[in-house]
Amino acid sequence: MFTLFEEAGFARVKSVVVPHFAFKHTATRNAAEAYGVKAVLFTAEKPTDA
Amino acid sequence: MSIALRSIADEQESLEADLKDEILRMYSEIAENPDGDFHFYHGREAAERFGYDPDVLDRAPASAVASFAGVGNPHLRTGLEEGMTVLDLGSGAGLDGIIASWSVGPSGRVIGVDLNPTMCRRARANAAETGSALDCREGRMEDIPVEDGVVDVAISNGVINLSFRKRWVLRELHRVLKPGGRVSIADIVSAKQLSQSIVNDPKLWAS
Repeated sequence: MFTLFEEAGFARVKSVVVPHFAFKHTATRNAAEAYGVKAVLFTAEKPTDA
Repeated sequence: MSIALRSIADEQESLEADLKDEILRMYSEIAENPDGDFHFYHGREAAERFGYDPDVLDRAPASAVASFAGVGNPHLRTGLEEGMTVLDLGSGAGLDGIIASWSVGPSGRVIGVDLNPTMCRRARANAAETGSALDCREGRMEDIPVEDGVVDVAISNGVINLSFRKRWVLRELHRVLKPGGRVSIADIVSAKQLSQSIVNDPKLWAS
């Protein structure tokens, strides 16, 4: 996603993992874990000279 | 275009149409049946997990809180000020847009965009209940129905991951922002490439 933000023209791209995000059902939770699925909060800016 | 490329494009178009139907179905189900059992946390339980202020949730319309299906709390990093214009991409039943409208005040404005016209009607009704001016527009995140360079801050919560065309979505967000504008986006990411069986299954992708 970082690359996608930068390709789109954004600057100062930052991310932090969302604490306490989890799927409710065990099967989904296990599958998500296997794929390294996380919820992330992204922030980014459109440059002032864009 | 070669026959092979045409075939891939047709298949992609068909998958996207199926995905759109599945997204409409799933999020309508959350809105119509908020007490239902879904594989993700939703409603007040989810919002409190992600750090939404309980007092804010008390103040918000119950219907908007019950239908909340976000994956984080974009308000933690918005830095909203009075008078700002906010875009809520994938505004659902309106909770995030309503909270944003309280921050920008009557001199600001909040534009919601949602694929589902039913959700837009619901968001408008929920906003009206609190006296908030939420202008919800039906539209796709890959083609945001907002003019160029008018948005100070764009927020989104658990929506962009649903698109097959994330690059387009981010380009669209960049287009509608003012120079110096910001995004605060909570979303799902995967460290590994999803298997083709997941990519080809709209039910799993929409999950």
